Amino acid sequence: MAKKKRIEVMACAGTGCVSGGAFQIIDALEKELTAHGLIDEISIVPTGCNGFCGQGPLMVVIPDNIFYGWLTLDAIPHLVEEHFLKGRPVQKLMFTPPEEKEPFPLLSDIPFFRKQLLVVLRNKGIIDPEKIEDYVARDGYTALEKVLSSMPPDTVIGEISKSGLRGRGGAGFPTGTKWEIARKQEKTPRYLIANCDEGDPGAYMDRSVLESDPHSVIEGMSIAAYAIGSSDGFIYVRSEYPLAIERMKTALSQAREYGLLGSSILDSGFDFDIEIREGSGAFVCGEETSLIHSIEGDIPEPRQRPPFPAQSGLWGCPTVINNVETLANVPVIITRGSEWYSNIGTETSKGTKIFSLVGKINNTGLIEVPMGINLRDVVYEIGGGIPNGKEFKAVQTGGPSGGCIPASMLDSPIDYESLVEAGSMMGSGGMIVMDEDTCVVDVSKFFIQFTNDESCGKCVACRDGSEALLEVLDRIAGGEGREGDVEFLEELGAAVKDASMCGLGQTLPNPVLSTLNYFRDEYEAHVNEKRCPALVCRDMIQYYIDPDKCVGCLKCLKNCPTEAIMGELKYVHIIEQDKCSKCGQCLEECPPKISAVIKVTGNDMDSLEQLTEIVACAERKN
Amino acid sequence: MQHSTTSDERVGAALVVGGGIGGMQAALDLAEAGIKVYLVDNKPSIGGVMSQLDKTFPTNDCAMCTMAPRLVEIGRHKDIEKITLSEIESVTGQPGNFRVHLRKQPRYVDETKCTGCGACVENCPTRNEVQLVELGRTELAPQHQEEVLGILERHRDRKGPLMPILQDVNVAFNYFPENVLRFISQETGYPLTHINRIATFYSAFSLKPIGKHVINLCMGTACYVRGAGILLEKFSEALNIGVGETTEDMLFTFKSVRCIGCCGLAPVMMTGDDVYGKLQTKDIPDIIKKYRQAEQ
Amino acid sequence: MPKLTIDELRKMRESAKKEIYLREGEFKGKVIVHMGTCGIAAGARAIMSAFLDEIDNRGITDIMFTSTGCAGLCSEEPMVTIEMEGSAPVRYGKLTPDKAKRIFDDHIINGDVVKEFVVGIGSERVG
Repeated sequence: MAKKKRIEVMACAGTGCVSGGAFQIIDALEKELTAHGLIDEISIVPTGCNGFCGQGPLMVVIPDNIFYGWLTLDAIPHLVEEHFLKGRPVQKLMFTPPEEKEPFPLLSDIPFFRKQLLVVLRNKGIIDPEKIEDYVARDGYTALEKVLSSMPPDTVIGEISKSGLRGRGGAGFPTGTKWEIARKQEKTPRYLIANCDEGDPGAYMDRSVLESDPHSVIEGMSIAAYAIGSSDGFIYVRSEYPLAIERMKTALSQAREYGLLGSSILDSGFDFDIEIREGSGAFVCGEETSLIHSIEGDIPEPRQRPPFPAQSGLWGCPTVINNVETLANVPVIITRGSEWYSNIGTETSKGTKIFSLVGKINNTGLIEVPMGINLRDVVYEIGGGIPNGKEFKAVQTGGPSGGCIPASMLDSPIDYESLVEAGSMMGSGGMIVMDEDTCVVDVSKFFIQFTNDESCGKCVACRDGSEALLEVLDRIAGGEGREGDVEFLEELGAAVKDASMCGLGQTLPNPVLSTLNYFRDEYEAHVNEKRCPALVCRDMIQYYIDPDKCVGCLKCLKNCPTEAIMGELKYVHIIEQDKCSKCGQCLEECPPKISAVIKVTGNDMDSLEQLTEIVACAERKN
Repeated sequence: MQHSTTSDERVGAALVVGGGIGGMQAALDLAEAGIKVYLVDNKPSIGGVMSQLDKTFPTNDCAMCTMAPRLVEIGRHKDIEKITLSEIESVTGQPGNFRVHLRKQPRYVDETKCTGCGACVENCPTRNEVQLVELGRTELAPQHQEEVLGILERHRDRKGPLMPILQDVNVAFNYFPENVLRFISQETGYPLTHINRIATFYSAFSLKPIGKHVINLCMGTACYVRGAGILLEKFSEALNIGVGETTEDMLFTFKSVRCIGCCGLAPVMMTGDDVYGKLQTKDIPDIIKKYRQAEQ
Repeated sequence: MPKLTIDELRKMRESAKKEIYLREGEFKGKVIVHMGTCGIAAGARAIMSAFLDEIDNRGITDIMFTSTGCAGLCSEEPMVTIEMEGSAPVRYGKLTPDKAKRIFDDHIINGDVVKEFVVGIGSERVG
């Protein structure tokens, strides 16, 4: 056996950190440790996504539990010498929240982690996802062992039903019930599909689960298959997730090698194997009937339900489709019992939910929190608030199917029912935070553009309805809104909701309807006053240089792509509006201390027009 | 447009292209106005798509009830001449005086004599046998041979093999050469139309060759609220191509994708295995330069 | 590899657990080796190896092993601080690998402080 290690470095190798150069950092670390002769006593463990993606590339040093973020190649030699050789943790690599001076050295002290409750992500950052031994050591496959040795399928289903587990894909259908329906079908074979076609923009928890703990999904699938009486499983993953597919392939072959997949698993007579199927970039494939068609090699358009897939799905056979996150819950429920599980969460929504907290927020990343936690805790405690001292405006949940939740509802709990009540939905768990600089019309337009692109075109309401919504939104954002447009959006939205066949169409008006509900005044400002209060919609804004603040540094002038800025060194610069393409480059370039470039909208544009005239004969600055 | 030169040579006849419900109505209206009408359709009979429908959207009117009276009327109208099984070859001249060349397919039945009794149809001995057109076998181009045969072999015994086959072909060639799709159809028994629908449904597939480096700019929500929209324009400008297009030197294809799941690094783009996070407009030239230089 | 039975899976789990005990974060005690420049010069590395060997040989998984910087008492190096659950930290100085073994036996395993090597008990006041 290799020598006992005194320190383990849990280096995050999730997609986020990898794109930040995690593998190069791991190589550098290994080289540096070897150079200092420490490689025998310190091991580097590449783990799945740690969750605090905004700090990546990152690592956690165990057993001290010290968190290092924003690592660079240059920092590694110093880190090795100070921390690993001399035992002095390096302060400047630790996490310091924007408004604090002192860093938080310990992972457990960082608010981002403190408020979380890890059930599905219990192994994140603790195991090497490419080593089955690590998963087994963390009590992996105990649930499968328990099920195969002592629980008949009906007992398993009963346990899952009692736990109150509901589908994590968005709609929240009780998992136990789904399994039961499938089990009751007489037709065989039955199929099990893990849905990892995570198409919602802004959500990446399923990818993270596959990348950080693939075996938990395999175990969950095995248990589900045993419960419904299936021996063939599929994992449907988007092809946009190459790393997840790679890790899953490794995990599957390890599980087969150990006989945890294949025939007569653990000598029980239960046969089960899993095949990976890849999507190829079609959002609608996340819809279960489309997904089935896609696997069959058919046109991936949804079909009318019922019959539900649990009754008649893949190749006409009973098929259970569960979300990856749902399946990763299963082993924990079996090991720790339904009672333990149902103690977490609210009356109707049990357990935890993973959210991806992104957008205009300080701590971006993946979080797992108990159901029923309120939005304020998520945004301000875990998320660390809004960057640059901006005002919180809304949270968008549920992706293109969800809606916006305004500041007034920050204290409402997060569970399936409350979110629907607020006009949004759980969806797969994307949580996009918007600040005062986000325009709701623009965001609605973005989502409708998305669903309009991704609509498969099978039913009229969704295909043409989204087109019409987009046309009106385009008009409003373009400053050509007409009286009655806002009402029309409402009416059309409701019609599309009623008339569409599958979930995509039924939910696509949500972003518009919910923002109309909470931010109607903004829509009206666009239509009636041709004003974009958030200063986003390009046709309604202009960029100006405040002559009192401009020091004439030439920075904006040099970087303007359309050469729309006039001026000379130490002379006040002026933007020629007819040349300006409103790209915002000048705003980016103007030094923060000066911040002379401003955006204006509506009536302000006229008054500034005069102002520019006056300063056209600009005075020299000292 | 100038109409004056030929005004005195104007012809009192019109040609209506397409004998669907719209074409039929147009022909009737023109004929009623006293103009001689030629109604052209490439099918053996007029009627178009509506003749295949039961009800029409949005009023749920009976399609046949709308169409039948017009069919009869056109048949009877002395000023309407139906020219079926015909395609337009060329149109010359100008408004008021066009000359149109048509190519008429043979009907093999003398139209002036046929009364449409249906007796020959009833008595045709091969009437219910599907008449297949002999296309001949499709052969693969030499450069595709090895890969495609290997892919087909790999998935031969799989249930629902089409997607995996197409995905592998896409990985191998970056796009679907037409011949390869025909060959897959021939070997797997999937109709070519079906394969084409699949091949055009997914955004990861392309029927045209794509560039060596595909720049996938993420347009997920997180990236969008962090300014991906502007990046899109800048990339488009820098590469001088629109979204979905390929540069002339076949080096870059520019695509916008839906969320690549790196929202923590928004805005992001991905090229092959390289992911660029926290992108700013000023990074764009360097990124493009990097790939251009690697090429030299 | 032959297929696992339930018993074999359990055995595999037991041995795998020993590999990753550091990450579980459940420790009843903590050994801190002072590894400042002075400590390393005085032989802290050997002390550390001695402790690691002991932990390894006995298959102990509930003792956390970590290092820290100079404690400010360089003349007493190499030093370790041992914090057992529920009692004040004890600091030992001028150690050798043999002394380390004894401390491990007496203090960590049996809970008896080895008085003759002790530099101090309790920690400095902070603040």
